[in-house]
Amino acid sequence: MNTRTIPNLEPVLKSLHVQCSRPLAFEVFTARIHEWWPLDTHSVGQTAARSVVLEPAEGGRLYERCDDGTEHLWGTVTHWDPPCGFDCTWHPGRAPEQATRLKLRFDTEGRGTHVTLEHDGWEALGEQAEETRAGYDTGWENVFGAQYRDAAATMAAAG
Amino acid sequence: MQRRPDGNGNRASARFDAARAADVFLALSDPTRRSLFERICDQPRSVSVLAAGLPVSRPAVSQHLRNLEKARLVTSTRHGTRRIYRARAEGLETLRAWVDRYWDVVLDRFAEAAEIAEREARAKSGDTTTTS
Repeated sequence: MNTRTIPNLEPVLKSLHVQCSRPLAFEVFTARIHEWWPLDTHSVGQTAARSVVLEPAEGGRLYERCDDGTEHLWGTVTHWDPPCGFDCTWHPGRAPEQATRLKLRFDTEGRGTHVTLEHDGWEALGEQAEETRAGYDTGWENVFGAQYRDAAATMAAAG
Repeated sequence: MQRRPDGNGNRASARFDAARAADVFLALSDPTRRSLFERICDQPRSVSVLAAGLPVSRPAVSQHLRNLEKARLVTSTRHGTRRIYRARAEGLETLRAWVDRYWDVVLDRFAEAAEIAEREARAKSGDTTTTS
């Protein structure tokens, strides 16, 4: 096996049905993201994180704001098509150069909405890995180091 | 809300083990261990081959390898006087399960908020039909 075949870095796919109209489901996910995003466990600032904002346009920022006014950029909107979906880059706790990709789709299904989330772009780090040794190390460090290590430590501490 | 069987996250989430994930994250948080792990992923290698070219002592390399083994990222077998290290997929499966779990938590919260928003919107508009 070589470094290209490190297993299971294919897209993470999630989908669910919500009993909610498509325009409202899209609005809740985007304009009202601060109402439901689990900031305590899913943020850079953790307990210091106060809110999360998704600017509703292509090029808009997705960021977290902390108690002291600090902002942490999580990603940038690359495609904006309400109420069908949006795409953004995804790099909480990391530099924009280390971004993976997030795609959200909203489809009418019966009287509700079928929501699909796709998280991919892992391979960008693999390609970068082969360019330079330093880039490779940085890639691993950012993907498995800062972001996930801290989260794992939080989880472990929480039991 | 209903989870769809077409995502592959539910299986992974069921297997998720927070303690094991913490071992994996900790093991890969060290640059030397990460470098060793990457070279072992490339192909099985002996301790002496792995130690060559690294700016750390051989006992230190052995200690790093034991940590990787404890995290189930690698496994070793003895061939005469040499110990050969191989990669295990299990450790990376743990990371994958962690990413799956991350989105499960987020989407559960979203679904709850969306369904409350829908009920509130219907109550305001006087529509009493249920969607269930």
